Amino acid sequence: MTTILPGGKLSTRPLHFIWLCDCSASMGDGGKIQALNNAIRQAIPLMRDAANDNPNAQILVRAIAFSSGAQWHISQPTPVEHFDWEDLQADGITDMGKAISLLTEQLKVPPMTDRALPPVLVLISDGYPTDDFNEGFRKLMSEPWGQKAVKVAIAIGDDVDYDVLQKFIVHPELKPLRANNPEQLVNQIKWVSTAVLKSTSSPVSQSANSSNISTNVPIPTPPTVATDGVDDVW
Amino acid sequence: MSDILKPGDKVQTQSSALDCEVEFLLGSGGQGEVYQAKFGNESVALKWMHPHYLQWDTNLQERLKQAIVKQAPSESFLWPLELVFKRGNPSFGYIMALRPVQYKSLIDLMKRTITPIPTMRNLTTAGFQLANSFFQLHAKGFCYRDISFGNVFFNPATGDVLICDNDNVDIDNREKTSAILGTPGFMAPEIIARQSRPNKDTDLYSLAVLLFYLLFSHHPLEGRKEAKIKCLDLPSRERLYGSEAVFIFDPQNLSNRPVTGYQDNALIFWQIYPQFLKDLFIQAFTKGLRNPRDRVQETAWRKATIRLRDSIIYCPHCRAENFYDTEILKTNRGRPQPCWSCKKEMKLPARLRLDKQIVMLNYDTKLYPHHIDGQASYDFSRPIAEMSQHPKNPNIWGLKNLSREKWVITNPNGEAKDVPPGRSVTLDTRKKISFGKVEGEVKI
Repeated sequence: MTTILPGGKLSTRPLHFIWLCDCSASMGDGGKIQALNNAIRQAIPLMRDAANDNPNAQILVRAIAFSSGAQWHISQPTPVEHFDWEDLQADGITDMGKAISLLTEQLKVPPMTDRALPPVLVLISDGYPTDDFNEGFRKLMSEPWGQKAVKVAIAIGDDVDYDVLQKFIVHPELKPLRANNPEQLVNQIKWVSTAVLKSTSSPVSQSANSSNISTNVPIPTPPTVATDGVDDVW
Repeated sequence: MSDILKPGDKVQTQSSALDCEVEFLLGSGGQGEVYQAKFGNESVALKWMHPHYLQWDTNLQERLKQAIVKQAPSESFLWPLELVFKRGNPSFGYIMALRPVQYKSLIDLMKRTITPIPTMRNLTTAGFQLANSFFQLHAKGFCYRDISFGNVFFNPATGDVLICDNDNVDIDNREKTSAILGTPGFMAPEIIARQSRPNKDTDLYSLAVLLFYLLFSHHPLEGRKEAKIKCLDLPSRERLYGSEAVFIFDPQNLSNRPVTGYQDNALIFWQIYPQFLKDLFIQAFTKGLRNPRDRVQETAWRKATIRLRDSIIYCPHCRAENFYDTEILKTNRGRPQPCWSCKKEMKLPARLRLDKQIVMLNYDTKLYPHHIDGQASYDFSRPIAEMSQHPKNPNIWGLKNLSREKWVITNPNGEAKDVPPGRSVTLDTRKKISFGKVEGEVKI
């Protein structure tokens, strides 16, 4: 006899997770772009695990690539269980502002639904914007979903515009994550795709001393990374 | 973030200095990572804490020691067995039993990916086991502090439960508390308002949320108010589950009813369950929401889940499990409501009235010690009676005595007869069965 159970699965909200990847020519130096492709690919199974642990969220992943101009690298919001990473290629300049403008178009309602979990936006760069970052950023912050989004930035190497990345993150107590070698990049990407994803989709156990944060999502402690430059192999 | 221990690494138990060898990573969380490890000839689970977590949970080691000394409240807990350390490593961990594979996460139930699909009886049994397990934990003077569906596993084929992540467990209401507050959605409103730290009363609130999830596949406070929230972030959750919390079926406050098409589970299940169970949830999430003293105690949940098991009736047409509800019978001229699944008319089976309990006598009904003795503990491994078919005429159903004591039956005409162990008594209306301490009356 087959068991019949009333009702269906728990109602869910979409959680849009969007990678913004710097593909400028400098990312081609020292295997950075390969390291990024590898790190994201390694993070996919972890994202799937995080999705499995969260009955309230439907996690949808996309990616933007920016160099000379910006385009959707993976344009369809893809359920993480079907998400597959396509390799990025490095070439051109660093049109970060255009990337953020492109992103902003997709954070308007519609195409965004008016009921969702905060989107997670991950900006990864190894350099300085060559276009007007502020213009893109202003547009982003004028959209409600842009304001509500959890914004994380990963700096690859030392020659990075930290001020811009910090501006993107908004909250001064959260710093850009630093990756000075491929292993650190894997770890930072892992952290973003597990810890940040989990706490955004279905908050995990809370601690008493995390009550003074100004973010609208409790972001856990990032992994610590040696920043003495000795590990710099880029 | 990389695995903090590696396969082949050895850690040593504190008490006996025995080696425990790491085999592979099972999972990782905010506090640490869990590995399968070899301890002697046994495979065990080893939880190793993140060093950065230890910085702010400073009395974890003390708590674990205490838990190890006081031992598990029951077999339903994957309890810490031994502390383990590694030379030259500032962190530490503990070992516990591995979770058997047939225990599934409540999250799988919420996603409806669970196999096998549990029956309502097994869900109800799991509800009973949860209430009973937390009763035993609290009876030992502990509080759990972070009850949520991530920490609870159950066997969908039996309803047995396993409670994991017992490292937050502490002596109730101590001045010195760890930093843990709980999981949003499960935290009591007074914790969200920072007016209280987790304690036994806040555990009772979280237990009620967990039971609601188990039986309704929905959160008790997520109605219209949740549907209206655009971005469900922490501040909006704190209003929804804290300062502006309203039960979705609050009889006085209708402002937060579930929204059809979005929050259907709550609406569907609310139609199916008997009133006595709904009344208990109403208490838990109206008076009990704001006033810890009015929370539903585990003993009341135990009684209600037992009664719910005894109220299950099967649809004669589609076999779906429905519930006997005396309130419906009163308002519906003695007739049960139609089957929730096929919508056809339901037929009541024979019933046995035992003191204040009414047990449905389905083809698979069993009676247990607690049915015939108010002092007996709940033990589903020792049925004292089961339904049986007459060997010559399978259309005649009886109740078979599986106990060691004889029963005495009294027919409506006053005639008395013994029913020795191993024999059955035919079910006739108004027949009385004396089980010793309690007398039951059959109704057809």
